[in-house]
Amino acid sequence: MSYFFQIVVSGIVVGSIYALAALGLVLVYKSSRVANFAHGQIIAAGAFITYYLTVSIGVPVFFSFLASMIITFFLAMSVEKIFLRRLIGEPIISVIMVTIGLGSILDGLIYLTPFGSENFSFPVFLPQQPLSLGGVSISWTQLVGVIITFILIGGLSWFFKKSTIGISMRAVSDDQFASMSVGISVPRVFGLAWALAGLSAAAAGCIIGNITGLNFDTLHAFGIVVFPVIILGGLDSILGAVVAGIIIGLIQQFSSGYLDGNWGLSGTGEVMPYIILVVVLFFKPHGLFGIHEIERV
Amino acid sequence: MKSKSFLTALLILVVMFAFTASVNAGGKVYKLGMSLAITGPTSDAGNPYAKGTEDYFKFVNETKILGDDTIDCTIRDDQYKTDVTKRNFEEYLDDGIVMYLNYSTGSTLGLKRDFEEEEIAVLSASYHAGNLDDSNYIFLPIASYSDQLVNLAEYVAKNHKGGKAKVALFVHPSAFGRGPVSDVEKAVAAGLNIELVEVVEHGKDLDNTAMLKRLMSKNVQYVISQTIQSPVATMIKDSQRLGLTASSFGEAGKLTFMGAHYTGGNDLIALAGNATENYFWITAFNITSVPGEGTTKQLALAKLFGRDQKAADSHNYAAGIMVAQVATEAIRRAKAAGLEVNKANLYKMLNGMNGANAYSPYTTTGPVTYSKTDRMGVDMLQIYSVQNGVFRAVGEPVESEYMKKIK
Repeated sequence: MSYFFQIVVSGIVVGSIYALAALGLVLVYKSSRVANFAHGQIIAAGAFITYYLTVSIGVPVFFSFLASMIITFFLAMSVEKIFLRRLIGEPIISVIMVTIGLGSILDGLIYLTPFGSENFSFPVFLPQQPLSLGGVSISWTQLVGVIITFILIGGLSWFFKKSTIGISMRAVSDDQFASMSVGISVPRVFGLAWALAGLSAAAAGCIIGNITGLNFDTLHAFGIVVFPVIILGGLDSILGAVVAGIIIGLIQQFSSGYLDGNWGLSGTGEVMPYIILVVVLFFKPHGLFGIHEIERV
Repeated sequence: MKSKSFLTALLILVVMFAFTASVNAGGKVYKLGMSLAITGPTSDAGNPYAKGTEDYFKFVNETKILGDDTIDCTIRDDQYKTDVTKRNFEEYLDDGIVMYLNYSTGSTLGLKRDFEEEEIAVLSASYHAGNLDDSNYIFLPIASYSDQLVNLAEYVAKNHKGGKAKVALFVHPSAFGRGPVSDVEKAVAAGLNIELVEVVEHGKDLDNTAMLKRLMSKNVQYVISQTIQSPVATMIKDSQRLGLTASSFGEAGKLTFMGAHYTGGNDLIALAGNATENYFWITAFNITSVPGEGTTKQLALAKLFGRDQKAADSHNYAAGIMVAQVATEAIRRAKAAGLEVNKANLYKMLNGMNGANAYSPYTTTGPVTYSKTDRMGVDMLQIYSVQNGVFRAVGEPVESEYMKKIK
């Protein structure tokens, strides 16, 4: 039975990290209806900034982590201001294409540094002995990752529901022109959405980097790996990202734990989430928590 | 006036003659081409590999190993994209290259037909045995991944205590990863005394708990990997967290992790830290944590061209040097035999590297031997294991016995 519960715990842990990595995509989509294909590069940048501050400058890892979130907050905000602001009002596909180009530019910049083609790992800063209860174990890295995920997601959920700026962002998400007509600064909202996406990406990058080690290809791949999460969750729903992340994490772990190695199967953890995604979208085309918009003419 | 024009024309002729003569006195230039991932996926291996090749050719030219002749090897980044590799290769052909140095498994397989049509010898950084199928011109610098995995499985069979060793393979979901699986299965069918319990194809896993626990439930004791470092790093970190990693080879009730060339080296230690302790790795390259004459020369070369310590210590830097050494040696032998240095003669020189003519570069754990029927270079493979944070040699270099039986 402990095997079953271990898989449940692992699934929730992996799913939570997926949710955190997906959060930035949701935030950008929620405000501007744009899928950001440069998200993986920002995830990687956050991890590398933390590493650089910790190892090269000697800043304690906790402060490096906070600093990297602040730096990527402003970095993403600047990116939006320089590259994307002039595209407000342009077709969405144009903006998406720009994010693809932006990803290539960020790739190029990171490849100019040693982080592009070398491997690193964070210094050990958490206890290496896992927490165990009844045969179920969880590492400190995973536990801290889950806690950070839920703090960030909880904070952002509150921000969108209760704060004036958050409500403005939701309004812009619904209708840019109507929002402008009531005095909401759409460019400011877009900038803030990108900035928050950058902040959450840095957090995700640090957690993933602590689990997998710091390899640029591995890290930036998570910008794409989490796309099924936001599609399943409904693209613009933070709650959807959390629920979908955990569902996908659990599917992966249960597939790996119970299907792989039996009946000649292998690698089902990679495939099953997509199969479930197709089935869910068949019945709920807008995802689990997506909004089904009806326009009356 | 006429005599002034005549003098001017004469002067121009003299200058032109002098220029032509000086070019000829500089010797011949042999063009080579290399395409690899200096950026993009697997660039952690490709980047130091390119540096090794570049440095060695510079060294050849500066120290006049080929006399007045020089090697002009153009190295281009293909970002691990086969279409870019193909474009690079075609442009190199237009430039008149006499030998080509390739990198990835995908592009080596993808361009196999082109290599045949062009009848050009190719040294690939991919050690996939399938590269050699239906090919006459692809040369593997060292023994294939199949040889590496079977060799590790043989080590398990010889050193495991208590019954038949239960082994799982952990492979990359591609031709690169899957290729050696059937050869391990054939070796087992041919009598290799291990039980192959499961073949795991990994993904971009953040947690391998389910997989590791499943393997433990099947009493697996050895996990042999054929992939790149990153997924291995995640797996061995998970195993360490769960307390499943063997503290010595074959510790009962625990997992001993092993892997082929691209799973190990200093990059694995950089990614996984102390979780790499007791990781067993097989390759055909000398490594700087086991000092010797070869590694001293490798470090000196890196120092000569101002490489940082990380590049200098990389086994991929050694691998890059090694292919440049083999190419240079083929050119040197063609010249010594009084042959024109062209595609056909270099191909001939490579095929002649055997027996007394085998070539021993300082970067490898054994000699390079090629023939018309054997295009795998270094057959002698060395097992290393991580002890106190660095790779140390385990025994002497050995050649796989079962690969000879199943070939």
